[in-house]
Amino acid sequence: MTDSGDGHSDRESRASAAPGAPAAPGAQDAPGTPAAPGAQDAPGAETEPDARFTLANERTFLAWNRTALALIVAGLGIVQLLPPFPGVPWGRHALGVPLIVLGAGVAVTAYVEWQRTQVAMRRGVAIPRSVLPQILAATITGVAVLSAAVLLVSALR
Amino acid sequence: MALPDDPEDADPGLARERTRLAWARTSIAFAAVGAAMLRKELIPGLIVLAATPLVYAAGRFASHTPRGRPRPRRLLVVTVTVTLVAALAVVAAFLGHGPTSLRQLLHV
Repeated sequence: MTDSGDGHSDRESRASAAPGAPAAPGAQDAPGTPAAPGAQDAPGAETEPDARFTLANERTFLAWNRTALALIVAGLGIVQLLPPFPGVPWGRHALGVPLIVLGAGVAVTAYVEWQRTQVAMRRGVAIPRSVLPQILAATITGVAVLSAAVLLVSALR
Repeated sequence: MALPDDPEDADPGLARERTRLAWARTSIAFAAVGAAMLRKELIPGLIVLAATPLVYAAGRFASHTPRGRPRPRRLLVVTVTVTLVAALAVVAAFLGHGPTSLRQLLHV
């Protein structure tokens, strides 16, 4: 039996060693996730998260990239497959090119956020909020307003 | 022994399988984009189609170092390829549709 003082300090040092590390049950069962050696000795050390969290992060990244591809294809389809708007020769480019550029932006941002999330999980801190939904919503709203404008101009000519 | 709350506590391989399927979906998306581009642009379409097995292979590539650190290069393959597709699409949008659309664009 240890005295209460020793037990207390021992527990405290242990608590500070792993601040909120995501220790999911079954983590030791997952293949390919060996605990980082020496991680529990240093406070604020980086520990690889449970493989499932890493995999979920990867799937989110892939899903955003498919969204990016869909935006690019939509933009290309508008430019190349739509008939020109009567009286608005720049209309298809004005609608399609922003979508293509947004697609590239989403792909790059998805990578940056994948990395940020991975670092946050490794440090055991809160996962930063994604800016991608705002970017996507803002640009799609903008393209919708622009389409309405192009259609109006085309109809009035 | 009671069943765990999360079935993946018993079998974490399900998450791995979902991720493999996500990679497969992503490479299929590249194939679809490449096939769609072939209709109007032969060369960019072929380039995008060639990226399909590359993306699939990146998904099959070992996702972690022996110490459990993820390898970001595999994901960079996807980001770089999507960005390349976007660049090709912009070029195709301005040049690929023949001189008429470019001329129309410059006359406004």
